[in-house]
Amino acid sequence: MKHIIIVILSLAITSLSFAQIDRSKAPVPGPAPEINIADPIVFDLDNGMKVILSTNNKIPKVSFNLVMGSDPRLEGEKAGLSDLMGDLLLSGTKNREKDQLDQEKDFIGASLFASSNSMYLSVLTKHMDKGLDLMTDVMKNANFPKAEFDRIKKQYESDLYAVKTDPNSMMSNAMYKTLFTEEHPYGEVMTEETLNNITREDVVDLYKKQYTPAGSYLVIVGDINEAEAKKVAEERFGDWEGGVPFEKEYNHGIQPKNNRVIFVEKPGAVQSVINIAFPIPMTPGDEDQIKLSVLNKLLGGGGFGTRLMQNLREDKAYTYGAYTQLNVRRQGSFMSASGNFRNEVTDSAIVQFLYEFQRITEAVPTEEELSLNKASMAGSFARRLESPRTIANFALNIHRNNLPKDYYQTYLKKLSNTSETDILEMAQKYITPNNLNIIVVGNKDVLEKLKQFDGDGEIEILDAFGNPSKEKSYLPADISKTEVLEKYLMAITGTSNMKKANKKLCKIKTIEKKAIIVPDQSPMELKMTTLYKAPNNSVTKMEFNGMVLQEEIINEDRGMSKTMSQQGGFETTHMTDDELKAELKTSAAFTEMALIKNIEDVELLGMEEIEDQTYYVLQYTFGKTTTTGYYNKTTGLKDRGTTLRVTDEGPQSISTKYSDYSKYNGYLLPNTTTQIVEAASMTSTLKEVKFNGKIDDKVFEIEESN
Amino acid sequence: MKKIITSLLVSSLLFNLSAQETSIDFVEFDLDNGMHVILHEDNSTPIVAVSVMYHVGSKNENPNRTGFAHFFEHLMFEGSENIERGEFDKYIERNGGTLNAYTSQDKTYYYEIFSSNNLELGLWLESERLLHAKVDNKGIETQREVVKEEKRQRVDNQPYGSFMAEAFDRLFQKHPYKWTPIGYMEHLDAAQEEDYVNFYKTFYVPANATLSIAGDINVEEAKVLIEKYFGSIPKGQAINLYRDYLNMNNETFKSTYGEDKSIFNKDNFFATTSKDGKALINKYKEIETVIPRPEIVEPPLEKEIVDTVYDNIQLPAVFIGYHSPAQNTKDAYALEMLNSIISGGTSARMNKNIVEEKELAVSAFSFAFPLEDPGMALFAGIASKDTDIEDLKKALDAEISTAKNELVTEKEFQKVKNQFENDFYSSNSSVAGKAEALANYHVYFNNTNLINEQLKVYEDITREDLKEVAQKYFKDNARLILYYLPK
Repeated sequence: MKHIIIVILSLAITSLSFAQIDRSKAPVPGPAPEINIADPIVFDLDNGMKVILSTNNKIPKVSFNLVMGSDPRLEGEKAGLSDLMGDLLLSGTKNREKDQLDQEKDFIGASLFASSNSMYLSVLTKHMDKGLDLMTDVMKNANFPKAEFDRIKKQYESDLYAVKTDPNSMMSNAMYKTLFTEEHPYGEVMTEETLNNITREDVVDLYKKQYTPAGSYLVIVGDINEAEAKKVAEERFGDWEGGVPFEKEYNHGIQPKNNRVIFVEKPGAVQSVINIAFPIPMTPGDEDQIKLSVLNKLLGGGGFGTRLMQNLREDKAYTYGAYTQLNVRRQGSFMSASGNFRNEVTDSAIVQFLYEFQRITEAVPTEEELSLNKASMAGSFARRLESPRTIANFALNIHRNNLPKDYYQTYLKKLSNTSETDILEMAQKYITPNNLNIIVVGNKDVLEKLKQFDGDGEIEILDAFGNPSKEKSYLPADISKTEVLEKYLMAITGTSNMKKANKKLCKIKTIEKKAIIVPDQSPMELKMTTLYKAPNNSVTKMEFNGMVLQEEIINEDRGMSKTMSQQGGFETTHMTDDELKAELKTSAAFTEMALIKNIEDVELLGMEEIEDQTYYVLQYTFGKTTTTGYYNKTTGLKDRGTTLRVTDEGPQSISTKYSDYSKYNGYLLPNTTTQIVEAASMTSTLKEVKFNGKIDDKVFEIEESN
Repeated sequence: MKKIITSLLVSSLLFNLSAQETSIDFVEFDLDNGMHVILHEDNSTPIVAVSVMYHVGSKNENPNRTGFAHFFEHLMFEGSENIERGEFDKYIERNGGTLNAYTSQDKTYYYEIFSSNNLELGLWLESERLLHAKVDNKGIETQREVVKEEKRQRVDNQPYGSFMAEAFDRLFQKHPYKWTPIGYMEHLDAAQEEDYVNFYKTFYVPANATLSIAGDINVEEAKVLIEKYFGSIPKGQAINLYRDYLNMNNETFKSTYGEDKSIFNKDNFFATTSKDGKALINKYKEIETVIPRPEIVEPPLEKEIVDTVYDNIQLPAVFIGYHSPAQNTKDAYALEMLNSIISGGTSARMNKNIVEEKELAVSAFSFAFPLEDPGMALFAGIASKDTDIEDLKKALDAEISTAKNELVTEKEFQKVKNQFENDFYSSNSSVAGKAEALANYHVYFNNTNLINEQLKVYEDITREDLKEVAQKYFKDNARLILYYLPK
């Protein structure tokens, strides 16, 4: 292959002498070498692509990284669509079947990867033309054959099935869903159900929208000079056409009001995967970012010398490794601390995580600790420059995130300027030790020990995909779901069969209820008025000192809610058709009457024992609200309920207790209703109930929106 | 104080490669104490990788102390005579470096990467580790638990994570490849202080170590520093005399060596001026270090072993294992090419036939562990949902049968060569990668320049060789069929 000249070096120096070594002191390094960050070459193509070039001829290879310009999209019932599209991209084009594409790619030893948002080709320079043939063919002409679509879907089914035993996937699903909710693309998790909803047309449609030159970046790195790169970019990518990129903003992560424990069961686990995560209100390039990243490094951002490593590994030997991560992205940022711990020390490990979060917000780090971590980061920055991709990626970040042009040139200086007080300031600004999501994937044996960490003592249990787990163990019910509802309706009407009950229920034309609400943590008294008119008109009004704070009106055609804003005016929200539809499904004098009509939407989970009572547990989901009702086996009455609602601010859980059922006009109603939201609770006491009084239709009217 | 005068180099070879951009120039030589040194200068980025490869792995372990070599690797970060517990990492971090280590069946590898002004620091740290590492009880007990957590995390709690241990255990009866580097929990618990002392004295000696440095260095300056930190470590058993001097009380030392500890210079052992002291040191310098290496040859399998492991998994899997050739043989190269044709890339046979066409598996692959002694070649598949595991096994068998009975096509053969060419350049793109590759080629192939000749090796292999190697190693009556089924 090569001519190798082997020279046997007859030694010029046969012996050396030098001063006695003093091993007791570490040698002091000389001045650090200067770091130069070469400026990459950047140019635009007429079709809206920006090309970034970093030339380096150390090895005879060149790579092309194409990054699309769109923001992520919400996929909802089709969660997983973009993953599927990405995986299908290399399934063939109108010019090449998949087998041919694979064959041609492997034959030149190239790597070609594609995702919904990017493509990457790495190839020996001598095979660049062939590599680009394949890459641009996929970019322009992917055709998603039906057979491949079906095959990948089946493959995904297998993968999703396997997720249930993979602790890392389970953790990732739970964490993203908790941090961002389903209202954010980051929080969307594919399940068997959403996979099933995806059609080939969806994939083709997304490809057309997503793969477009406008706003995209082509990053060229390696053994190619500027003139060649310009020629290649122009010739191979210049004629590519497409629409405008998609733009959209989302929530930037939901901060829990208290520490929130989330548990995902992994049967047979010998370790708990612990992850403590919380959102960080920050976008790339934020002036705090470098300072916060120093904090992250010092706390657990890599290396053996961080606080978490020293505490959890080197001191306590709870784990092989514990790390923090600061993830700053345009659409939402977060910080997390994680590690794997044997079951027995799961709770002890969480105590130490919390201790470290608390500690960093209370005192400045030592000068030594800070300088060590800054030096480590500076070194890491310098090492990264070995890869020519780094320089190109710097340029890509600057353009994508609108960073100052000298962001990376000044990085080391900003790093070095970060002080001890900066770290404390960052900790106090961004870390809230009592607003953390504490997520554990593990054996259910550890569950009981986690309760102490939760703000309201109620651990949320999620399944492998980050959805509320239905796998709670219920006793099998001894009657049907219809019978549970009927039993309730007979109980509240004081009747012995459904015929009599229905007769009595049909008589209800209107109800007017007045109640006093007292929040448990403040002495104020609120007045709540509820008006109902058959079949499904309702108004709920909340007042304080004669001032309306909140009002919700629903009639057959519309629904709206008005909330007093901080400035004194009202914010009015009109329900969407879907929301109204969901509301109407439970609209009746008594919700259970409506549920009997929609019995196919109701699920009887089974029986559960709570505080010496046995309950039938019914659950139903309409729209974004999942309600669970607990019906007393002995009395038939509903004593408890929980509502889980997915809102823009994240999932909101309300638990309700009904007690002191009393007779009004022959109907039993709970005099006392206690609601618990997060850690706060309020009790409402019924003061007045009027059946079949006259209520003016006008109160149910809603002006058409816009 | 006296100056130490040592002869620097016993022998030195300079491979002055022709100035093609793709060749990797290096200098290599042995120190007087037997330590091998490899230096590669690459000034394109101001960083340097300093590494030491010890030719000891789990195959050198006592069968009732499995996992010891890896456990020992953890202890080698605990400090030395001059480095306090917890300080080893800090020296590196404080100077912007990174470090890590790993242990395989055959070797233990330590490395640091930092900006090039820290070369001397790296040499000091590594020479401290080699000369007089120090571990206290707290360190031992902590690392014992840490290693157990590592095992839980990587093996016990990962779906299929135990396949390597389970397969080697069944395919090997005599050879120490029977166990994997992570070892058994109970053996980790059983390890005693004398085990550490013996292991250190036996395997952590200059003659069993290769120092490989790549990056922004000046070769001549580096040589001087290497001599200072490593050349000053004495040859033969004198290093262990010194270690015993440090660790034994006077009584034990005297009963072992017949001399009082006081005959040595307290501040600098090797600069001892007393006649008796010097004589003892010189005597032990002449006692050669012999590194015990297992000479056990695993007898061939004589039947097909079929077994099942029940694991916390959802999708069943099947592993078919054979004895494979040792890595530095022509057979191993032929097998590597064959494996790539069978499972390297999306166009490879297993992916095309089993995953895409028959849809029997979510993934299917074949490979051979690159090991010093004959090891294991594997065919494996993880079944897709609702696939009968027997159907998947048959599909794997069909690929094995094709490999044994048919020549690979000309096109496949050319493809694998092209792929290897690409991989060759990718793997030698960082100084850390080059330092490691250079050490590997020296330790296992006794030919450091193989880094530049690697591609040529494959040129001597024919399509017929691939078929022959399949026939020779993939024997139906000498293999393991291991099923993984959900618990």
